[in-house]
Amino acid sequence: MSEAAIKFEKFYYGYINGNVVLHNVNLEISKGSFTVISGPSGAGKTTLCKSMVGIIPYYYGGRYAGDVEVLGESTKGKRVSDLSMRVGLMLDDYESQLVSLTAGEEVAFSLLNHGFAPEEVATRTKQALADVGLPGRENYQLDELSGGQRQRLLLASVLAVHPEVLVLDEPVSAMDPDGAHALYKLLYKIYKEYHMTVIVVEHNINFLLPYATNMIVMNKGEVAAQGTFEEAAAIAYEIPELRQNLPELWQVKLALENRFGITLGAWRNEEEALKELQEKFVGGGCDD
Amino acid sequence: MIEAKAVNFAYHRGEPVLNDISCKIKDGEFVALLGHNGSGKTTLSRLFMALLHPRSGDVFVGGNNIADLEPADLAHQVGYVFQNPDLQILEDTVFEEVAYGPRCKNKSENKVKEQVEAALAAMGLAELSDAYPRTLSFGQKRRLGVAAALALNPQTLILDEITNGQDEQEKNNMMQYLEKLNQEKGITIILITHDMNIARQYTQRALVLHNGDLVFDGATADLYDGKSELSEWGLKQPIIATLSATFGVEAQNAKEFCEKLYLKEGVAQ
Repeated sequence: MSEAAIKFEKFYYGYINGNVVLHNVNLEISKGSFTVISGPSGAGKTTLCKSMVGIIPYYYGGRYAGDVEVLGESTKGKRVSDLSMRVGLMLDDYESQLVSLTAGEEVAFSLLNHGFAPEEVATRTKQALADVGLPGRENYQLDELSGGQRQRLLLASVLAVHPEVLVLDEPVSAMDPDGAHALYKLLYKIYKEYHMTVIVVEHNINFLLPYATNMIVMNKGEVAAQGTFEEAAAIAYEIPELRQNLPELWQVKLALENRFGITLGAWRNEEEALKELQEKFVGGGCDD
Repeated sequence: MIEAKAVNFAYHRGEPVLNDISCKIKDGEFVALLGHNGSGKTTLSRLFMALLHPRSGDVFVGGNNIADLEPADLAHQVGYVFQNPDLQILEDTVFEEVAYGPRCKNKSENKVKEQVEAALAAMGLAELSDAYPRTLSFGQKRRLGVAAALALNPQTLILDEITNGQDEQEKNNMMQYLEKLNQEKGITIILITHDMNIARQYTQRALVLHNGDLVFDGATADLYDGKSELSEWGLKQPIIATLSATFGVEAQNAKEFCEKLYLKEGVAQ
């Protein structure tokens, strides 16, 4: 197994005055992977995210046991700012993460806080805006940008710090399907280009079917499945309440494999699936 | 009944958004309003409750022309639930939130209580009556939005992307409550959605808008027969519908498809 970007060991966590929301979490996310974290509402996905970047326990307090390691270092006793150079976080409520008047200032904000020289700030801002498809928009007011553009701007400001690990919590929850597909396509391009580790919380796995190398499925505060995308999907398929959240294409694949006792390809899009099914089964477009 | 007659609409100084739309939605129907981004579906739905008025043509709600009406005049006939539930939440408890509408209509406190309780029960929120709305889950907030609209006893509910951002359990949960409202109380439901699966499973009739034109008005099932121009309209056939059409087995989900294919094929080749 390659080196871990994130590692949880026997980790338990409960918010102050709240129930324990993560139970005995053991998991490992490899460097360079594109991991989707999925699971029903209330499964603990967001809490898991916050634990990865040190917001838990540093900001929220609460009770915890076990350990979380980020790039080989325990988050215990670390400030969020210590980690933020190496791990970037984008929350679902992206508007609350925007703090400036113009796009350029927004991207520069965290760079300046980290003490980069002005020339470096300008260079990185320019590059980050270009990376997210907003080239030359430094002087745009935030309210001149659409919702989707503001979200990409936030992505730029996280990228500008050049984090090794990027964690995104439900980044498309407020977007329509076209916007969601576009954002994930962009994210994949950035992942490929910068060889980052990308971790995305997303309940609609369909959006990430073409991209995810690995998957973690949470259920009731526990890790129900983890591994390569294929492995985790097969495990989740066996758990009734998780099955219905798998991409439909994979529900079809796993149902057919079980029923017919065959092995089908690791489909990443409908074209692949249709092609193979038409080869294996009759009826596929024969009569017209 | 809601009827649009030769409706044209454009926003202030903007391009035309709706072109010559005519359609009729009868009481008790469960209708999907489909179309890609910017196709005009939200705009059309807003004309149905006088949030907007047509540039030309007429919209009738319950037989009355909306030309001189405002949303408040129609609130007891048409309930509208917006995309973002947080924008619609005003009060400190679930009960108060749902009571807001009936109170604005100067109903007696007894009547308010009765209507609120019925609406909460219909959406499965009775036990959360005293909860602070902002602590609800996303799916519960969406049901709260529906309950608030329902408390005014409207004939029609217009729901804008009501299942967006929810997991499969929550989506189905929501749709089952809506199906019950439609079947047991005869409430007309107009579902604005991107989710072609939800439309296929739950609605009988579909309206499709494409660049402001009404390009399809018919039985939802006919939309998924593999022959309609779905992709031209910027819509996507759900994979189960594609597979059903390709292999000639009628299925609503993966399991059903698999079983029917198995029966048809016997064994894999």
